[in-house]
Amino acid sequence: MKRLPFQGRSMAFAAVLVALVALFAYVALRSGPLAPIAVTVATVQSRSVTPGVFGIGTVESRHRYRVGPTVAGRVKRLMVDVGDQVVAGQLMGEMDPVDLDERVRALDAAYRRSEATVREAELRREFAQTQAERYEQLLAVRSTSQEIVASKQQERQVADAALVATHAELARAGDDRAALVAQRKNIRLVAPADGLVIARDVDPGTTVVAGQTVVEIVDPSSLWVSVRFDQSSTLGLESGLPTQILLRSRRGEPLPGRVTRVEPRADAVTEETIAKVVFNSILDPLPPIGELAEVTVSLLATAPAPVIPNAAVQRVDGQSGVWMLVRGDLQFTPVTLGASDLDGNVQVRRGLSVGDRVVVYSAKALRARSRITVVDRIPGAAP
Amino acid sequence: MISLAGRDIQHDWGKYVFTGIGLGLLIGVTLTMAGVYRGMVDDGKALLDNSGAELWVVQKETLGPYAEPSSLNDDAYRSILAVQGVSQAANVTYLTMQVRSAERDVRAMVVGIASGEAGTPGWPSYLVAGRQITRSHYEAVADVAAGFALGDRVRIRRHHYTVVGLTRRMVSSGGDPMVFIPLKDAQEAQFLKDNDAVLQSRRRTSENPAFNRASVPGLLDAVITSQSRNPYVNAVLVRLQPGYASDDVAGSIERWQRLTVYTRPEMEGILIGKLIATSAKQIGMFLVILAVVSAAIVAFIIYTMTLGKIREIAVLKLIGTRNRTIASMIMQQALGLGLIGFAVGKIAASFWAPFFPKYVLLVPSDTIAGFFAVVVICMLASLIAIRAALRVDPADAIGG
Amino acid sequence: MSTGIRIEGLKKRYGEGDTAVDALKGVDMYVAPGEVVGLIGPSGSGKSTLLKCLGAVIEPTSGRMTLGDEVIYDNGWKIKDLRALRRDKIGFVFQAPYLIPFLDVTDNVALLPMLAGVPNGIARKRAVELLGALDIAHRAAGMPSQISGGEQQRVSIARALVNRPPVILADEPTAPLDSARALTVIQILHEMAHRYETAIIVVTHDEKIIPTFKRIYHIRDGKTEEEVGEGRVITGAEHG
Repeated sequence: MKRLPFQGRSMAFAAVLVALVALFAYVALRSGPLAPIAVTVATVQSRSVTPGVFGIGTVESRHRYRVGPTVAGRVKRLMVDVGDQVVAGQLMGEMDPVDLDERVRALDAAYRRSEATVREAELRREFAQTQAERYEQLLAVRSTSQEIVASKQQERQVADAALVATHAELARAGDDRAALVAQRKNIRLVAPADGLVIARDVDPGTTVVAGQTVVEIVDPSSLWVSVRFDQSSTLGLESGLPTQILLRSRRGEPLPGRVTRVEPRADAVTEETIAKVVFNSILDPLPPIGELAEVTVSLLATAPAPVIPNAAVQRVDGQSGVWMLVRGDLQFTPVTLGASDLDGNVQVRRGLSVGDRVVVYSAKALRARSRITVVDRIPGAAP
Repeated sequence: MISLAGRDIQHDWGKYVFTGIGLGLLIGVTLTMAGVYRGMVDDGKALLDNSGAELWVVQKETLGPYAEPSSLNDDAYRSILAVQGVSQAANVTYLTMQVRSAERDVRAMVVGIASGEAGTPGWPSYLVAGRQITRSHYEAVADVAAGFALGDRVRIRRHHYTVVGLTRRMVSSGGDPMVFIPLKDAQEAQFLKDNDAVLQSRRRTSENPAFNRASVPGLLDAVITSQSRNPYVNAVLVRLQPGYASDDVAGSIERWQRLTVYTRPEMEGILIGKLIATSAKQIGMFLVILAVVSAAIVAFIIYTMTLGKIREIAVLKLIGTRNRTIASMIMQQALGLGLIGFAVGKIAASFWAPFFPKYVLLVPSDTIAGFFAVVVICMLASLIAIRAALRVDPADAIGG
Repeated sequence: MSTGIRIEGLKKRYGEGDTAVDALKGVDMYVAPGEVVGLIGPSGSGKSTLLKCLGAVIEPTSGRMTLGDEVIYDNGWKIKDLRALRRDKIGFVFQAPYLIPFLDVTDNVALLPMLAGVPNGIARKRAVELLGALDIAHRAAGMPSQISGGEQQRVSIARALVNRPPVILADEPTAPLDSARALTVIQILHEMAHRYETAIIVVTHDEKIIPTFKRIYHIRDGKTEEEVGEGRVITGAEHG
């Protein structure tokens, strides 16, 4: 009976010691380098993927007209402002003609004078012709000298030439006048097509240089999105492909559209390919020009092939591949990758077959001899 | 012969175990401090490992991209690709800044990674959840240390990014979590600040008569556009083809491209020798002091424990116990205490290490070194105590 | 078969020259096996010194000591291992029991033979026998802190006896006890001495037990004088 308390005490002590040893063993095996690394595994399945191309673009108008004078001048008046609709041929504004009208009148006068000169030259030629014929008749009856006949003939030729010259002079005067008239037309700023005024860069009274834009017009019914795609992912991009357009202002509402043109010239500096994407239906209200849009183009679905998540792709010793689980051991398998989609699924062209088990996530970097334990989720990563 | 040490311990095992636990916590603190030190150094190495690069090409005569700011043109990588021995060359940008989500505001190192597929230098080498970036803009892969979950929308400068993947141990040398975003977005984030700043910059440019010339329409727009672009990156990460030595290829790039190139050992030297050197020394010194103090306390506890048994030791000597037996009893008790203390210390350190805000790395070599240190200290302390104990004259037990 | 303890001309000098002190100036003593003698003397008489010499704790200056049939000292130790001598040939009983607190009663007693190399089982058997002889076998599994002072003293006596030493030195064993218990202890000593043929020297100045000795040595100024004592036998009525 006296034995029990003593035994009880040593049992308690032994229990504490055993617990300590067990905890120590647990800690030694579960943390540090002896601990197995948690990994998740996926089984390779054969699926087709629908690759997508993603790019950022801005809303632009297909046609954009910048209207301005062809010579330097002063803006006399503008009849339109930003937001106005205009029709083709509509007068939007006028430059100050300054001395243009006077110069046109001067050229009118010069034209009339040329006309008069032509008449004069015609009369002279008629006279020279008549004279030449008379003297040729006189020569036939030996009433005059050869010399006089020759000089009369020469006078006729001179008169011919003079007539041609005055005709040319008349044409030139006419062209000069036509040119100045045409220029005077340009002081009238006329809308070249139907559209919406989106910019009025100067106000009446401002002096502008030749070529400077005074009014900018776009055709709002022809809005498209000019998108830039990273060149590395644009294989298969061609016109006609369907797209989803996500405007910045309408985040929750992807709009359907399609690629209408892939620009033949890419941006060599930023390494981007540019494409134009149109909306399938006209938007109401119209998005502002310059609004940012995120465009996702769906390429053609590929044929089924083994598919792995892109998180499984690793690079070891300069090769791309995956860690395969072969009979519980890790084996690095180089693979050749094929098409991938925007959700991170990538097809494998060579290296894996359906049913292979590959490591997708790992708690630490893996090596060939790492000890692993397969889990559903890596602890510490939110689901 | 019975074990005197065992009987003595068993008799008052509660006090013995408590003393062991006390010692253990002290040893645990010392082990943890060593872990903090190693964690700091590992943060530096992790940065280099995670970049997946064998060579770092940076602005000439800078120690960049981690120790010093470095700016290269973003098309420099094309000529680097042409150098013999280079298998991959990718642009990368680094900027430590605040990343905001709905719930939190985290200091992170934002890494701009070039587009491509997994395995491009600069990309995170492995994930713990989600996927790698597939879109060219507005997607991010974040380290779990940042506290973001998959699907979170985080704001970096002027744009929002969706977290599509999570990584672990992708941290900067200072321990800040990394957030990977597409390179173009990162270039813009480095350069374009907020909308106000952009507007101010435009205003300044348009007030400059050199750029705002009426006779050259389009000049101002062209200047503003060129100012809004950022054609710079911080470094180009290079991987070599098999069979080429990094020093040789580094030399070629340096010679022909007139840039500065660092190999992995050189980068380690810069990171660990310059960037974290001061902090590491700070912690290292504290670790040494802590270890010495811990050793002294352990020795003191064992010495006191032994002196508390002077009476029993005198009686044992008197009744004829050999000095050797007495000494062995004391030393066994000291070693037992040391073992319990070490076990408790290792367990405690392993349990509380993950809760530290920065990485604590407990390496087996430190554990083994700690074990031997504890054993040696216990033995030495007990030897000193034994000497004191054996000097006791058994004759004093026989009264006057 | 022991033949008691014999001391002849034992001298002990402390110090040298002018400051030398002669604690023992030629002591003669003989205790036969089975005999219990008293050793009485005032403090400063050399009593402790004599006990320490008898216990081979200090070295005498000159003289001769015979223990059993072995000469242990003859103007120099004749035994190499004094510790073994103390362990095997001399038993100690003190004023206080001085038990090892972390060993149970049996092991406190069995420790001595174990130290001598006796296997644990046999050592414990011997211990239990002795405890039985001392009427405390029922406490064999208890710890020293769990038993009374008198029982502890008996355990210490058992410990002194367990190796069957030829001589037991008891230093004021009854000092802290009341008369009933003191007589009990002395009676036990007499019984044990008789049963195990051990010579027991009891250093005491306890009036209560002096009458029980048949022979008494008085020690004064470093010399002893033998006296015949009353040798009173303790009857059952005087037990505690």
